[in-house]
Amino acid sequence: MNPQMPQKLSLPGVKHVIAVASGKGGVGKSTVAANLALALHSAGKKVGLMDADIYGPSVPIMFGLGQVDPQTTPFPLHKYGITLMSMGFMVDPNQAVIWRGPKVAQAVQAFLGQIDWGTLDYLVIDLPPGTGDAQLTLSQSAPLTGAVIVTTPQDVSLIDARKGVRMFQEVRVPVLGVIENMSYFVGDDSKRYEIFRAGGGRKLAAEIGVPLLGEVPIDPRIAECGDAGEPFVRKYPDAPVSKAFLELARSTIAATSGAPAAPLPDVQL
Amino acid sequence: MANDVRPLSLKREGDGLKIEWSDGAATFVTWRHLRVQCPCAGCIDDRAKPTDPFKVLTPQEAAAGAPAPVAMKTVGHYAYQITWNDGHDTGIFTLDALRNLSQPVPPRLSPTEVP
Repeated sequence: MNPQMPQKLSLPGVKHVIAVASGKGGVGKSTVAANLALALHSAGKKVGLMDADIYGPSVPIMFGLGQVDPQTTPFPLHKYGITLMSMGFMVDPNQAVIWRGPKVAQAVQAFLGQIDWGTLDYLVIDLPPGTGDAQLTLSQSAPLTGAVIVTTPQDVSLIDARKGVRMFQEVRVPVLGVIENMSYFVGDDSKRYEIFRAGGGRKLAAEIGVPLLGEVPIDPRIAECGDAGEPFVRKYPDAPVSKAFLELARSTIAATSGAPAAPLPDVQL
Repeated sequence: MANDVRPLSLKREGDGLKIEWSDGAATFVTWRHLRVQCPCAGCIDDRAKPTDPFKVLTPQEAAAGAPAPVAMKTVGHYAYQITWNDGHDTGIFTLDALRNLSQPVPPRLSPTEVP
């Protein structure tokens, strides 16, 4: 048996598995994933968040958690009503995870298959940037309902987001929609400033024939909340950014309301 | 092939694989053709090289005889992985590849349709 071929996993208690992805790093995937998880929770859903970014996990800091002793702490962890798992719970934040691809795939599989996720409506997976091992392992072995693609408005981000979309199309994982992060900034003068240009997310969504799930504005408090360990949606539920995330949660619920794709038939040999 | 076309059934038939597709088509491909066209990196590399007349077969390859699958598993929503009787198992055949490598099978006429 090929040792690198991931085993197929089933998550019987999880209704929908949503991958939050982008081609490019730095577009705010982890912020979107964390706040989408909270927004889905606010909408009355049972939600888990799996941090599949093995090299650069962000979930621990964003939820005010750090490294724990894996010998004495049962995984997954729970905070703000969200079930959480991340490599960052097990590794000193100052220590680099220097692993080749197959080890990353193994860790992603262990997070999915060996963690007791319990009963969830949504398991949100925060993917690392790119189209590499973590993405491929999930596409091959996890029962993904679909993927949401995060981009920022400018072309340099769109080019890579397009590659992410192509990857999911290639492995036949439905792309539920596009989220444009850092869309605009509303100044003290109440004027809208499109700092990173405008309309990129809408353009990408139209190009691939999927809905634009939301446009999330820039708010400097997002970074503060991330660093302080309390996701923005929880701390400032009435802010425009939170409303965008709540709208995004509603769109995600609507996009996943149909029947999930049936698995491929077995071969009669 | 459109991305929403998927196989409805896959069955061993004689020395190959018959696939019925959701667009109404039925196709057939021999195991030998699939084995020869294995899409794994190693086989692609081997196909690009001149044939090695001195290649020594492994005992498993020598004992295998005609190519035949011992297992064929689904990979996500997009492919099948075949484990062959010669021990090779790294080829992942996407649905597009299976469709492109196989030949259409003419539909069988039912007795009432026979002219």
